[in-house]
Amino acid sequence: MGSAAVAILVAMFAFCFLGPLVYHTDQVHVFFKFANLSPGAGHPLGTDADGDDELGRVMVGGQASLEVGIAAGLLAAFLGSLWGAASGYFGGVTDAVMMRIVDAGIAIPTIVVLLLIVTIYRPTEPVLVLVIAATSWLSTARLVRAEALALRTREYVQMVRVMGGASPRAVLRHIAPNALGTIAVNVSFQIGNAILILATLSYLGLGVQFPAVDWGNMIFSAVQTISSGYWWQIVSPGVAIMLVVVAFTMLGDALRDGLKSKSRGR
Amino acid sequence: MADLLTITDLHTEIRLSGATVRAVNGISLSLAEGECLGLVGESGCGKTMTARSILRLLPPGGMITSGAIELDGTDLVQLPEELMQQIRGSDIGTIFQDPSTALNPTMTVGTQIAESVVVHKGADKQAALARAIDVLRLVRMPEPERVVGQYPHELSGGMRQRSLIAAAIACEPRLLIADEPTTALDVTIQREILELLDELRRDLGMAVILVTHDLGVIGGRTDKVAVMYGGRIVEYAATRSVFATPRHPYTEALFDALPELAVKGSRALYSIPGRPPDMRTESAGCSFAARCRYAQDWCSAHAPELDGDHPGHSYACFFPVSSVFGGGQAAAAIPVSAWLSGHDPSPRRSPAADGNGSSSGPLLRVTGLVKDYPVTAGLLRRKVAAVSAVADVSFELAAGETLGLVGESGCGKTTVARLLVGLEQADAGSIDFAGTDLTQLSTRQRRAQATGIQLMFQDAFASLDPMMRVRSILREPLLIQKAGRRRSHRRQVNRILDEVGLPADAADRFAREFSGGQRQRLALARALIQRPALIVADEPVSALDVSVQAQILNLMRKLQRQYGLSYLFISHDLSVIRYMADSIGVMYLGKLVEVGPAEAICAAPGHPYTRGLIDAVPVVTADPEAAQFGGGLSGEPPAATDPPSGCRFHPRCPLAQEICARQEPQLQPHSAAGQFVACHFPLEEAVSSPPPAGAADLPAAPSLS
Amino acid sequence: MTAFLARRMLQAIAVVILVTLIVFTLLELAPGPDRAAVVGTAAHSQFLVQYLSWLGQVLHGNLGVVSAGGESVAALLATSLPRTLILVGFSTLIALAVAIPAGIFQAARPSSVTGHGLRVLTYVFYSMPAFVLGSVLILFLGVGARWFGAEGPQYAGLGQVITDWRDLTLPVLTLALGTIAIFARYMRSAAADSLDEEYVEAARARGADERRVLLRHVLRNSLVPVVTLLGLSIPQILGGALVVESLFNFPGVGFQIWQAAQNHNVPVILGFTLVFGVGAAIGSLLADIAYALLDPRVRYARA
Repeated sequence: MGSAAVAILVAMFAFCFLGPLVYHTDQVHVFFKFANLSPGAGHPLGTDADGDDELGRVMVGGQASLEVGIAAGLLAAFLGSLWGAASGYFGGVTDAVMMRIVDAGIAIPTIVVLLLIVTIYRPTEPVLVLVIAATSWLSTARLVRAEALALRTREYVQMVRVMGGASPRAVLRHIAPNALGTIAVNVSFQIGNAILILATLSYLGLGVQFPAVDWGNMIFSAVQTISSGYWWQIVSPGVAIMLVVVAFTMLGDALRDGLKSKSRGR
Repeated sequence: MADLLTITDLHTEIRLSGATVRAVNGISLSLAEGECLGLVGESGCGKTMTARSILRLLPPGGMITSGAIELDGTDLVQLPEELMQQIRGSDIGTIFQDPSTALNPTMTVGTQIAESVVVHKGADKQAALARAIDVLRLVRMPEPERVVGQYPHELSGGMRQRSLIAAAIACEPRLLIADEPTTALDVTIQREILELLDELRRDLGMAVILVTHDLGVIGGRTDKVAVMYGGRIVEYAATRSVFATPRHPYTEALFDALPELAVKGSRALYSIPGRPPDMRTESAGCSFAARCRYAQDWCSAHAPELDGDHPGHSYACFFPVSSVFGGGQAAAAIPVSAWLSGHDPSPRRSPAADGNGSSSGPLLRVTGLVKDYPVTAGLLRRKVAAVSAVADVSFELAAGETLGLVGESGCGKTTVARLLVGLEQADAGSIDFAGTDLTQLSTRQRRAQATGIQLMFQDAFASLDPMMRVRSILREPLLIQKAGRRRSHRRQVNRILDEVGLPADAADRFAREFSGGQRQRLALARALIQRPALIVADEPVSALDVSVQAQILNLMRKLQRQYGLSYLFISHDLSVIRYMADSIGVMYLGKLVEVGPAEAICAAPGHPYTRGLIDAVPVVTADPEAAQFGGGLSGEPPAATDPPSGCRFHPRCPLAQEICARQEPQLQPHSAAGQFVACHFPLEEAVSSPPPAGAADLPAAPSLS
Repeated sequence: MTAFLARRMLQAIAVVILVTLIVFTLLELAPGPDRAAVVGTAAHSQFLVQYLSWLGQVLHGNLGVVSAGGESVAALLATSLPRTLILVGFSTLIALAVAIPAGIFQAARPSSVTGHGLRVLTYVFYSMPAFVLGSVLILFLGVGARWFGAEGPQYAGLGQVITDWRDLTLPVLTLALGTIAIFARYMRSAAADSLDEEYVEAARARGADERRVLLRHVLRNSLVPVVTLLGLSIPQILGGALVVESLFNFPGVGFQIWQAAQNHNVPVILGFTLVFGVGAAIGSLLADIAYALLDPRVRYARA
């Protein structure tokens, strides 16, 4: 399962970043006479309402989706791990307050918060990374805190005290390395999730802004003419999103299964 | 008698992704109506897979590849699954090892007991529950009408196992398979459960297969024994003849590795070298050859057949043990109490304790140690009660000696260990270690003292960081205490690995790559690398097989002599304690009820509870009467949130008087040997004097029955 | 258990208060005129004063007005909330009805053809954004086959909305498929864990057949974690509803938030977000209560 996921990811990266070097298309100009062509010779995946080639557009659009998705996923996992670890480490009232903040953050649907934020700031790629990370770190925080609490009671962590070591050592040498696996699994899920969120934002017209392109706003454009039945304009970017997210989800699952069998020790 | 169950040349394999495990490799055995067979062997020998094969409940990838299992003439191997389901639970009942996981937490006990009645007899809810109450009464469950409606978590461990037995016999099966039925239980409850099984077998006329690793459980309760090794039966005979004259070297080695049979004059337990065979590969010769003390070249090239020189006793060995050159010591039935009281000819005094350095007093003196855990409840988590885990415990331990701490689970012995190594803070009392009161130290000072006291956990694997290589694990104590230069660490690690009997290349591996025994060696190495004066060992061998247990115990004793180490050795197993300890402390519900020299306590326990613990130890004997010897204890300890008034033991004590509930007894000198006992009515030496060697001559139950 | 519930209730209240604080802080970042629409004359005073005055208004049921002199936010909420509840309610029920058996099946028969098929489907629907799924459904079942309407029901009356199955099917299906994938993934792992337990082995040894094992033993034990998940995924489901409503032009709460975001209509965003937050907090509280009822260890331990 893990190797299949890696294969899909490698293929999709090559497709998005190396593909345009091989398959040259003009994604800047508008060609009305080629608008909405169905898939066929010259345009394997058809064209969109502006007459741009779909295949080339899926390649270029993927660059923004992958860049923002990976950056936001990593940032979210990083912020969440810090928050969760701090909450678990301090415990007591600090922990209760920090976790209630997470509860409240999780209670508001992510997409609503995002809508609020992007109405205030003009969504550029860096802003989108920050904004998506700022709404996604909550689940990681919860997970890492639970993991830290569980690890704290492990006998090999207690042994540090028996050997006369101080808590920083227990945290840095034992808790952090052992939580790393769980965090790695979470990073994979977070990236998949960030790609989904970006696509959804763009689809709502609040993500990557014209003339920049990503998979989400490709579908946004296509939905405007949905009653005309130009299915290829929706299916092509839709399949691309799905493949990448499936791959990151499978990768996360595979990592988690591997981790489980590793910690069993037999 | 007609045979109820006949197994012929059974092969069971478990196909994993990378390899095939030959879990059962051609075994044959038979069982008559009402007969009891003991299936014995170490973990991974195939005994559980044999039991699972009979039930046809194999793990994923498992399948019976050939052979027949005939129950009353019907071959279960060929039976369609639907018919097999009709046999499970009705003709064959099953008891599992761990009653806390084998009961469904979201279903009432009654529903689970009645399940087989509903499935097989089509009983309605009312009738099924009525049956459940009947069966619970049969397993002597107190208040069965109430228990049927309760959930498993509301019952104690012993009561859960009774419920599980009730569920197994609800349809009056003709065959009962009990897979390690008492391993997860305390000794005191273990005895009650085994006696219950005996009784049920007689009353219901069931045949029983008792799967266990414990020879003490087999002896006296089974009619015949099959000893398994590497997926095969290596010895198969009447229990009496196996115990009297074991013929296979493996069987003999199992007996020799038992601490309760450690013989006078022998300095160390016999331990079987090496590890059990890899069941993924087929060996040409005898699978035990690599570990056998009598093996010849012939053995590793040819596989012995299971046969024997006289009917009724078969074994698979070319060079069987005989009385002529065999070293087997299992010949005589030795009641444990007799053995426990035997004089130990190998005093484990280390040079340090022998006079010159010992004038400065004991290495460790614990005085009035108290630890309570708060129980909170309500909206504001107010403290409503306290679990009294350790209540006013005092003892001493001299340099180079071993103090064994024994008691049932929940008696507070582990809390004492955690207090000593600084994992918990004492609520009161002092811990004087090498002249310093550890409870008075600041955190920083306490950390520096850690070089002196080290800890071994029961589960060595859980105490070794899975992400670290062995070298880093062993070096960690040195780094923490900034001991020596980094360059010398490498040398120290290699040296300590050698001392605990591990190869130098172990340093570059991870803990998960080692076996259970090797992991405990690693834990010992880490504890030892700073040359502490005291090692607190919390049940260090209770998760290990007998042969491996012997290796670890011997190693611990060797290192003790070498370095003048002291051990605080915690165990629920009196025979292990007896083998290791110079003095013994007996704990009950947070109280130390008896303390003193090991020989004196084992020979003449002063506290009724100690007496009960000794009587509860299973006797390694084939003699059914000897196996019944002794009164043992009944019931289980009450909750420590609300300890009984006065003497905490009085509700279970057969000698309790009115004063016991009123006034708490203090530890008082009991004998000239230096025993201290906390009891208003301590046992007199005469009453509990060691019985003579012949078990049959013993009084049925001294003072406690 | 009462103490447990009381403590849990206090937590829920704290969470709701924090939700309003977070939303209010976000609005603090918004341009001046927007904020004035909510907090009125107090626009230039301190943040805390503004917050408390807004909170006071909310407690009196006053969420502000949609636009100057127009409909009140509360009134808009009253017409849109029931629609969202219909959408979310139907799709969640369908999701549970499908995901629980599908998850158990995947756990019980992981290597069967159906098991593999379900697993692949779960991955696909888990990874497909609601708007893609919805668009594809509209394209093929709406625009293409013309079985269902491409837009959600547009009637004013709720009764008509419910009975208009032709238009309601696609939005409900879109939301349900995504939710099924989330639940089925979780159900599968919970059921797989439960199947590994020894009590399942013990039930088999008593002669229980596969059906009995799964229905009587595995189902209840794996429902316990799934109920918690249900409570925790309410925000996610509501977020999905926002996308589905905007795609199908279905005037529920999510649709209104989307519209308000595009028009920078702060009073609507604030009021509606508050409702979502409260809903999620109550949902997670209910999930905990259900959890306590399902698991006797919790039910009795806290008695």
